[in-house]
Amino acid sequence: MSFFLESFLSACRLAWSLNPELLTIVRVSLSVSCLATVFASLVGIPAGFAIAHGRLPGKRIIITLLNTLLALPTVVIGLFVYVFISRRGIFGPLDLLYTQKAMIIGQFILIVPLIAALTIAAISRVDERYRKTAKTLGANAWQTGLVVLREGRFGIAAAVISAFGRVISEIGISMMLGGNIKGFTRTMTTAMALEYDKGSFTLAVALGLVLMAISLGINVLFNLIQGRSSR
Amino acid sequence: MMLYALNKVLQRYNGRVALDIDHLEIEGGRIHALLGPNGAGKTTLLNILGFLETPVSGTMYFNGRAVEPVQKSLLHLRRQVVLVDQHPIMFSTSVNSNIEFGMKIRKIGKSTRQRMVDEVLETVGLSRYKTARAHELSGGETQRLALARALVLEPEVLLCDEPTASVDTENQAIIISLLQQINAERGTTIIFTTHDRLQAASLAQHTLMLENGRMANTTYENSYACTFHHNEGSQVRCILQGITEISLPAPPPGRPPIQTGRIHIAPEKITLERHEPQPRNGSTMAGAIILLMAEGEKIRVVVNVGVLLVVLIDQARYAELRPAIGETICLRLEADAISFLQE
Repeated sequence: MSFFLESFLSACRLAWSLNPELLTIVRVSLSVSCLATVFASLVGIPAGFAIAHGRLPGKRIIITLLNTLLALPTVVIGLFVYVFISRRGIFGPLDLLYTQKAMIIGQFILIVPLIAALTIAAISRVDERYRKTAKTLGANAWQTGLVVLREGRFGIAAAVISAFGRVISEIGISMMLGGNIKGFTRTMTTAMALEYDKGSFTLAVALGLVLMAISLGINVLFNLIQGRSSR
Repeated sequence: MMLYALNKVLQRYNGRVALDIDHLEIEGGRIHALLGPNGAGKTTLLNILGFLETPVSGTMYFNGRAVEPVQKSLLHLRRQVVLVDQHPIMFSTSVNSNIEFGMKIRKIGKSTRQRMVDEVLETVGLSRYKTARAHELSGGETQRLALARALVLEPEVLLCDEPTASVDTENQAIIISLLQQINAERGTTIIFTTHDRLQAASLAQHTLMLENGRMANTTYENSYACTFHHNEGSQVRCILQGITEISLPAPPPGRPPIQTGRIHIAPEKITLERHEPQPRNGSTMAGAIILLMAEGEKIRVVVNVGVLLVVLIDQARYAELRPAIGETICLRLEADAISFLQE
């Protein structure tokens, strides 16, 4: 117990002192996860919207496929991307392996299905009368789509926040595609795993505290958005 | 020229026929009531008239021009016809933005938009809610806002699906007077659906009846679920809604000993008498008068004979009889007053 308490207090001091190494790790984590979330949103939201709002053939199959992809382990995605970007892979000449770009690609693949699936759920929940009302008031297909999108905005925002929460806390992709290089591709989760291996708990617990604080912030934001959506 | 003309219009949902109209013409500039029970196809017809649904077959003319099921053409037509739902939904923005929506789409300038929003809010009596969130309005206010959102676009046709069904009496009166005002001042054609025969009679200049997706020649009022009891000989007793018994002049189709079905008693084929008439081929009964109302050339009399029976008599007969509310009166059904309805 005293060991845990000691580690916890040291971690708090480390976090409070804004240790440069800790800050670098947090910065890398946030920038990689934010960029992956932005790119995935740019693809996932329109895709989810098109699937939910449009009259696509095989819609149910696509939704089933997306739901299946939600359960894909991060290490499988890591392995899959590795095959393509390793020296022997078709994208080998681009020198992506063990870079932040590779991590972003992997995380992008991880959360595109999540954002698309949650966008589909959010758009499907939008009352059908919004579409009918927009049409009878003279809106064309594009304007009607924008109305539906606006009415589903809180659900979509929740999808993006969920996706960010997923990538900031994943480890498989970051470890396999980033390589855990100090100051470059070391993220909070990979650093915590390394510190654990070394038996040095102070930095690991400090990073854990930061990660938990971020998760708490995301959840508070998520609940605020959900609350507003249900009003 | 008729505003709408529909020929052989058929609409199906999952193989089930929702609407099957052989021929229908609707004149412009008037208020039309669309009467019918639940599932009669009223909302489907409104959606088709509002160009929100395309029928699976049939031809439709609007202002003498054939309606082409092409998006561009339908969009142009939709901008002349606005439908107000029975349970209208407001965009999750302010009252002002909700009303502005259709005008923005029509690219009307901001200053004109604001002037028109102010005017229409004044008309529907919601000026004080201009900046309020639309979702915060009550049911009656929402209905009025939905009307405002439609009226601000000055449509040629205003379609209203049960405009007063889910609002209180105060809001009902406001909505009815608003519809009359819009029709009188702007000449807007108004087509509204209702279950309420009295409302249809008081508000509309023309009434259309739908039953099982088809245009009906008679009102569905005086339609009752009943049980037929075949007595010895050819006499058949009919128990209306398990309460009131009448004798049928002719047996219903098929003759099991006890049979259930629906009958319709034509309101104009019931004769009122001060004294018990001698039964001839029809059936007689007595009941208290509970409502008297002028309806065009006719007088509507509602008599409680166990079930409420509507009778339509002409004004001369009314002047002769001078019936009063609460008075007991005798009714005689003509031989051809009763018809058997298909289930």
